[in-house]
Amino acid sequence: MFRKNDLKAVSKEQAAFLSRIQKRRTAVLALQVFLLAAFFFLWEIAAIRGWVDPFLFSQPTELFQTAVKMIGDGSLFLHIGTTLWETVAGFLLGTILGTLTAILLWWNRFISDVAEPYLVVLNSLPKTALAPIIIVWFGNNQSSIILVALLTSVVVTILSVLNGFLQVDEERIKLIQIFGGTKRQVLTKVVLPANIPCILNALKINVGLSFVGVIVGEFLVAQDGLGFLIVYSSQTFAMRVVLLSVVILAILSALMYGAISLLEKKFTKWQS
Amino acid sequence: MRPIVSLEDVSLRYHSISGETPAVSHLNLTVQSGEFISIVGPSGCGKSTILSMLAGLLPPSEGNIEVNGNIGYMLQKDYLLHWRSIRSNALLGLEIQKKLTPENMAYVDSLLEQYGLGDFKESFPWQLSGGMRQRVALIRTLAIRPDILLLDEPFSALDYQTRLSVSDEIGTIIRKEGKTAILVTHDISEAISLSDRVIVLTKRPARLKTIFPIQLSVEERTPMKAREAPEFKDYFNAIWKELDVHVS
Repeated sequence: MFRKNDLKAVSKEQAAFLSRIQKRRTAVLALQVFLLAAFFFLWEIAAIRGWVDPFLFSQPTELFQTAVKMIGDGSLFLHIGTTLWETVAGFLLGTILGTLTAILLWWNRFISDVAEPYLVVLNSLPKTALAPIIIVWFGNNQSSIILVALLTSVVVTILSVLNGFLQVDEERIKLIQIFGGTKRQVLTKVVLPANIPCILNALKINVGLSFVGVIVGEFLVAQDGLGFLIVYSSQTFAMRVVLLSVVILAILSALMYGAISLLEKKFTKWQS
Repeated sequence: MRPIVSLEDVSLRYHSISGETPAVSHLNLTVQSGEFISIVGPSGCGKSTILSMLAGLLPPSEGNIEVNGNIGYMLQKDYLLHWRSIRSNALLGLEIQKKLTPENMAYVDSLLEQYGLGDFKESFPWQLSGGMRQRVALIRTLAIRPDILLLDEPFSALDYQTRLSVSDEIGTIIRKEGKTAILVTHDISEAISLSDRVIVLTKRPARLKTIFPIQLSVEERTPMKAREAPEFKDYFNAIWKELDVHVS
C-alpha cells in the first residue's frame, strides 16, 4: 500500500517535471516567433504612420514586393547564387586547407614550432584588410573574392584544429603504437576521428567568417552577388534592395548553420 | 627451457631539460612461458616503464631485452574509441596490423560471444558498464593472439567491487587461454591472487628487491578462490613489509 502510493507520487512528480520542461520549451519558441513577427509588424506600422522615413527605412511589404519583382526578372537568384557559391567555396576551402595544414603541423612539430608566432599574429590580423591587396594582385574576378573568404577562415581553422589534435589523449596514441601502428595510423585511426566534432565546429564558425570575406570582396569588385547589390543599391538610395539583401543574408546564414548542424548530428551518432 | 621474456641488466634513464632521471636500474628478470607474474613496487618507481620497454615502445639505455613471442598490452583504462562500435573496437588491433582475415574476425566474434558481449557487438562504448568495457579491451588485446600479455594496472580505473570481479574474470580468461602474463599493480592482494610469482621492486630507480613464488593450497586456482587460501595473508604481510611503505 505504502509502496504503491509512493510510486504513484513519484510518477506524478515526474509527469509534472516533464510538463514543466515542455511548457518552458513552448514558451521559448513562442516568444522567439513573436519577437520576430513583432519586429516586422512594428517596422511596417512605423513606416505607414511616418514614425520613420520610408525612403530610408523602407518597409516589410515593400521588401516583399521587391523580392517578388526580382525573382520575376531572375536577378535575385543570380545574386544569391553568386554569393552562396563564393561563400560555400570559401568556407569549404578554408576548412579543408586549414585542416590539411593542421595535419602537417601535427605531423612535424619542428615546422609547427617555427610557424607558431606567425600564425598567432595572422590570427589577430583583420583579414578583410588584405582584401584590396588580394584584388590588386589576383585581379578583378570571382577567384579573388573566394580567396578573401578563404583567408578569413583558414588561420583560425588551423589553430583550432591543431589544438584539437594536440589534445588527443597520449594513452590513445599509445594504444595504436602498442599494436605496432605507424604515425599515419595514429592519425587516421585516432587523431582525425576524435576531432571530427572539432572540424565540424570549425566549419560552423567558418560559415560566418566566409560570409564576411565574400561580402567585403563583393563590396570592392563584384558585378553581382548580394554584397554588390548592397553597395550598388545604397549608392542609388534603393534602401528596399539593401535591406532585402541583408534579410536574405540572415536567412542564408541560418540555413547553412542548420545544414552543418545536421551534418554534425549525422557524424556524431555514436553519442548519447 | 628457454624463457619467453628475459631482461638482462636493463637500465633506463629519462631525459628532460631539467635533468636526467634514472627510472630503472640494472634489472634482471626471466619469465617462463605460461607463467603469470606480478610486479609490485612503490608508486612512481618505474613499473610501467618496464612494460613500455618490453613492448618495444622505449629502447633501454643499457642492457638486453629478449622477448620470444607476440606482445599484447593492456593499458590502465580501456581507451575504447567512442566513435566505434564494440565489435569494431575489438577489431582495432587486427585492423592496424592488417590482419582482418575471416578467421580472425570469427575468432573475435567467438571471444565476444564467449565473454558475454555477444548482444553488444553493435553497441557503442558509452552504453556499457566499466567492467564490460574492460572485457572488450581484453578481447581487443587477445584478438591479435599474443603469447605474452602485459597488463598495466588494468583494473585501477574500476570501482572496488567491479575491480574484484573483473580481475577474477580476466585472470581466469588469461589462464584458460594459456597466456603468459606480466601484471603491474600496486594492489598486493590482486598480485597474490593472480600470480605464480610476485616481483617486488625498490623505489625509483627500480631495482629487483625480492621475488615471492606464490603457492596457495586451494583446489581451483581462480583469483577469487585464491583469496581464501590460508597462506594468502602471510604473503600479503611479507610483501607489505618488503615494500617498506612509510607514511609520514
